[in-house]
Amino acid sequence: MQSQNNNVIVLEGLSKVYSGNTHALRDVALHVGAGEIFGLLGPNGAGKSTLVKVLLTVVKPTVARGTMLGQPIGDKKTLAQVGYLPEQHRLAPYLTARQAVEFVAALSGVDRSTRKKRAAELLDRVGLANWMDRRVNVFSKGMRQRAGLAAALVNNPKIVFLDEPTDGVDPVGRVEIRDLLIQMRREGRTVFLNSHLLGEAEQVCDRVAILVQGRVVKQGRMVDLQQEGSRQELTVRWTGAALTGNVRALPFRGMQIAPTVNPDGAHQYVFSDLDSSAAQPAIDAARAAGGDIISLLPIHQRLEELFMKIVVDPTTGKAPPPGAGS
Amino acid sequence: MTAFVAILVDGYRELVAKKLFTLSMVLSLLVVAVIGIGGLNEQGVTIFGFTIEVPFINSTMFTPAEFYKLMFNSVGVTFWLGWLACLLALVSSAGMFPEMVSSGVVENMLSRPTERWRLYMYKFTAGLLFTAAQMGVFCLASFLVIGLRGGAWEPGLFLAIPLVTLLYSYLFAMSALLGTITRSAIAALLLTILFWGFLFTVNSAENLVNGFRIARVKECQAIESLMQKRQKENPQADISDLHSELEREQATLGNLQFWHRVVFVLKTALPKTDETTSLLQRWTVQASNMQDESGDDAEEVADNAPKQRRRGGPGFGNTRTKNSVVVAAIEADQRSRGVGWILGTSAVFEIMTLGLGCWLFSRRDF
Repeated sequence: MQSQNNNVIVLEGLSKVYSGNTHALRDVALHVGAGEIFGLLGPNGAGKSTLVKVLLTVVKPTVARGTMLGQPIGDKKTLAQVGYLPEQHRLAPYLTARQAVEFVAALSGVDRSTRKKRAAELLDRVGLANWMDRRVNVFSKGMRQRAGLAAALVNNPKIVFLDEPTDGVDPVGRVEIRDLLIQMRREGRTVFLNSHLLGEAEQVCDRVAILVQGRVVKQGRMVDLQQEGSRQELTVRWTGAALTGNVRALPFRGMQIAPTVNPDGAHQYVFSDLDSSAAQPAIDAARAAGGDIISLLPIHQRLEELFMKIVVDPTTGKAPPPGAGS
Repeated sequence: MTAFVAILVDGYRELVAKKLFTLSMVLSLLVVAVIGIGGLNEQGVTIFGFTIEVPFINSTMFTPAEFYKLMFNSVGVTFWLGWLACLLALVSSAGMFPEMVSSGVVENMLSRPTERWRLYMYKFTAGLLFTAAQMGVFCLASFLVIGLRGGAWEPGLFLAIPLVTLLYSYLFAMSALLGTITRSAIAALLLTILFWGFLFTVNSAENLVNGFRIARVKECQAIESLMQKRQKENPQADISDLHSELEREQATLGNLQFWHRVVFVLKTALPKTDETTSLLQRWTVQASNMQDESGDDAEEVADNAPKQRRRGGPGFGNTRTKNSVVVAAIEADQRSRGVGWILGTSAVFEIMTLGLGCWLFSRRDF
């Protein structure tokens, strides 16, 4: 866990109530460490985009207790150090990619020579070197997304907010964007990633928070969350005749997988879904029963599993309806 | 400052990308060309060597310089700058604010260090570039035409740039507000045109009621004068008919004064597009030392000896006063309304409209 001093975003209580008593965000509390990739996950309508918009002053909060880069939420000057790629963003169709990126830089107060230099560099970095002087209205969705990424980085931000950055991007482009996120982390930037794509988030995020109906229901380091529900998989090999009886007598609480018979006649069993406390007794028991331990592998909980456990109602088997409700 | 310049440049690029901007520029130059290709001879107006006989417009009545300045005022200012150019500018710029507040664009604007009200005002200023640029081109071309063809170099013509930009700004402030509220270019445009029509209606109503009011004042004065004259000639003369006529006129005047006050208060609160254009005509006429045709009427009123020439204006139910005297009195009344009232009250309305737009833009969630 990072110390509070290293956090670039600290939310102690952030709420947004729209007219009609619709609660979009309910007392959200989370923190984002400097230089990490933070993933904000949640089903549609959970309030992910609203949370980002509140942090970036696009939406006015009802209550906002917290800081970003050491300043209160809503402080305009802080935004000069922040980049943003909105969900389904649109660059002005009458501008070239270079002009569009430079325009965003100018809005952030970047001086003329710096923005010209950085716009060219970043468009090259996102693979639009040969397109930077073409109008964005001829761009594909993926190309616009790349140009948007360049725009989000043009003011050399300390924090970059990316709302569904891979939306509409082809698989190759997705890998490139993932690499770009990792590169941003290497450069010391903090990346705040909103995404539906759990697999991608799992690959790049250091920490995640799961938002459901405007509430943070889970947050933590990715490693911790994966270990929290992790299981072990034990593979044991027996030779000889009276194997079945021995195996059945084992005090394994894990699921037994049908044995495979090796060419040398040995039987191999794989016991999966063992929790950490059951692993050592299982090894001891297997050895006592004459088995050879082939492997003991940790099986981490996938983010998708965790997400589904949290989001899906176990009684109905359904995800909550979109929106935070009233 | 960087953001301000960026939004100005972006506004310029946006307008240039729209064909209507170029079209307006071309049309502006065409209007000047139409003014420039005309000429005068003793019979009338010449175009490409052909003469169109016009009794009151020929070289015996006007010098070439006066002719081109007259054309600049009547065609260029009244029709082109005052109406058509403003309408084209509104059409071209109606989408600026709805586009700025549209989803996917507004986030990029608002998530920057610039305050929202500043963004709103920067965008508004960028929109005014359209008219200012168009006026600049039009005035420069007119200046050259009047100078080269008429032999008179009149820098006063450039007053049209700030004045027409101001006139357009009344309407564009409303268009910006409506565009921010409705987020629709078409709705903003139609409602702004409707608002312009409302201004025109209020202005016409005020002119009409004021015309009848002044006519009644003149009628009362004429009746009183006639009563005095009759009594002077014959103290025993029966003037009861004049008394009852005077009472009727005074009663009507009372009604008209009440309704004029109502319409006048309403008009005071609204931007005065018509008066601003008239101001432009008045100033460009003064600035270019061109003879002001209404000067004769001023004398008529001052001397109380109206000439026989009728101005051709509408009658206001006046039977005892010449139309020309009534029209001259109306014009004198209109001219008595100072620049401060015309521009000041219009500016107050515009500031309030802009303030409301900034406030809505600042407090709204996007």
